[in-house]
Amino acid sequence: MTVALDIDDVRVTLGHNEVLKGVSLSVQPGEFVTLLGASGSGKSTLLNVIAGLQKIDSGHVLFDGENVERRSPQKRNVGFVFQSYALFPHMTVGENVSFPLLAARRPAKERAAVARETLELVQLGGMADREPASLSGGQRQRVALARAIAANPRVLLLDEPMAALDKQLREHMQVEIKSIQRRVGITTIAVTHDQTEALTMSDRVAIMHDGCFVQMAAPTELYRHPATEYVAKFLGEANLVPLYDGRILPVDGEEQKTGTAVIRPEDLEVLPLDAPAMAWSFDGIVRVVSFQGDRFRIEMDTSDGRVLVCTLPSTADVSLLVPGLPARLACTDPERVHIIFPPEILAQPLAVGSAV
Amino acid sequence: MKNPLAGVIGGFRYPVVVLSVAIGLLLFVPFAVLVATSVTSGQLILFPPQGFSLKWYVSVLGDRAWTDPFWLSMGVSLAATAIAVLLGTSGALAVHRIVRPGVGRLVRTLFILPIALPPVAYAVGLHRINILFEGLNKSLVVLVLGEAIIAMPYVFVLVSSAMNRVDPALRLAASTMGASWPMILRRVELPIVLPTVITGAIFAFSVVFDEVVLSVFLTPPGTQTFPLAMLSAAREAFSPNLTAASTMVSLAALALLGIVTVVGNRRARGRRPVRKVSST
Repeated sequence: MTVALDIDDVRVTLGHNEVLKGVSLSVQPGEFVTLLGASGSGKSTLLNVIAGLQKIDSGHVLFDGENVERRSPQKRNVGFVFQSYALFPHMTVGENVSFPLLAARRPAKERAAVARETLELVQLGGMADREPASLSGGQRQRVALARAIAANPRVLLLDEPMAALDKQLREHMQVEIKSIQRRVGITTIAVTHDQTEALTMSDRVAIMHDGCFVQMAAPTELYRHPATEYVAKFLGEANLVPLYDGRILPVDGEEQKTGTAVIRPEDLEVLPLDAPAMAWSFDGIVRVVSFQGDRFRIEMDTSDGRVLVCTLPSTADVSLLVPGLPARLACTDPERVHIIFPPEILAQPLAVGSAV
Repeated sequence: MKNPLAGVIGGFRYPVVVLSVAIGLLLFVPFAVLVATSVTSGQLILFPPQGFSLKWYVSVLGDRAWTDPFWLSMGVSLAATAIAVLLGTSGALAVHRIVRPGVGRLVRTLFILPIALPPVAYAVGLHRINILFEGLNKSLVVLVLGEAIIAMPYVFVLVSSAMNRVDPALRLAASTMGASWPMILRRVELPIVLPTVITGAIFAFSVVFDEVVLSVFLTPPGTQTFPLAMLSAAREAFSPNLTAASTMVSLAALALLGIVTVVGNRRARGRRPVRKVSST
């Protein structure tokens, strides 16, 4: 029963605050799209709009080409996993999971069967008679997920699904949710402010900022080719180097920059100081070398007053890097350097196509 | 065994202990005297009692001057409690749904207002109504309604504070699962606040059962509520009937409280352990 989901120029104003400034989004059946953004970016509002919990000022929400923006939440047939899970404390796990079927007035036998099957799917078989209060955080989240998909909804919506879990469990559940979603094959929209979560789970990630989409693309594309400096900084660490005509601009330079080079810390390597200079090499004084278990993290003050960050595998030889002494960092593969052009040069609309 | 509070209170510890004991005695001594005087074998309320006998209890239980007011009070209290629970609970659930904060505050205040109203003024007003409509003063209608209004705020306050502790996402979750609002009310909200509603009902009942001001003005001629019977018994003759009757209602109240506590504890305990997994 999974559907294509279309959001067309949706606007929402809360009080005097324009929360969504005309956002559009096209999701294919079975696709997993994550809305990623800082708090206040409008991502949760958009999720509520899809569920029908938030009224819209203008625009359209379409399930398989059919307008649903005037339908109440009851009539949209969506599954919603809340941040707090919102499990009914007075019901057993099984009663929670089969609640959507109770609401649809299905017979008790069918409800029990569906609860059992769905709980098997989330690996909680045999837990139907437990009380939610007796479950661990991860188990509760599975119950919430089972309840959201029990009645074969058309769209699955996840609001910060991992917020209440500790780090280790979170990574485990990200993979788990993704695999359940793939097995059920349901169109899924998730909201998060955690970039790792977004990159791990999604087919596509939509970055939201201030009520608009900034970029929407597959995780690798988004990380490798960010459209703006905001995206580059939001997703992982990035060294942003201003350019003028393909040249690296000095920090106190007069010229207007005509682009920004994005160099990821893991794409920089250490070169000997007497090696011949190359296009993307930077000389400077090492500031900090810190060992982080799986890698080294190096900060360097460049000679023109910038700070560069470089990460090296934990097996790397860092004997050349001594805080306070000069060093040379370089990106030896120019392919790895991504260049962002400012909008007036880019002068073309944001690509919104599916990019799987 | 060091008491961490000891260090904080320091030299003030002894006055605090003395004060607590004094307050405790203030509550306990009258009750002890009440019980003691009710088991006297003499004819007067005297402390210490003379001899031991339960004859005053037998006398009260067989005396319609006591049993009639008791059953009248039970009837009035039950009816008024039912109305108070209905109004207070639905009011609390409704106020919780009001979106605009200003309106919500206003309605909330209106529901709590009866607590602040001086009962005498209220009783006089109701008494006028009773006189205006002939025949009404022979019935218990105005008394029951008046008592219900006085008891309603207790239910309202308890239930609305329980509603505030309920995750607002529960209602949203239920609605995304296709539940209409009557179903959300019946299957989600009411079951969650039900224990609080029962507590509220007990509060309301005890408030009404004890209430004497409205009874004075609104009880139909020739009948008495239980507190009125006690009042007139105290004024007319100092017979140990009075203390025997008081002891009995006090013990009944304690028993009720005990049952509620035991049942409440059992419910709370029943929630935690894993129930036997049966195949559904």
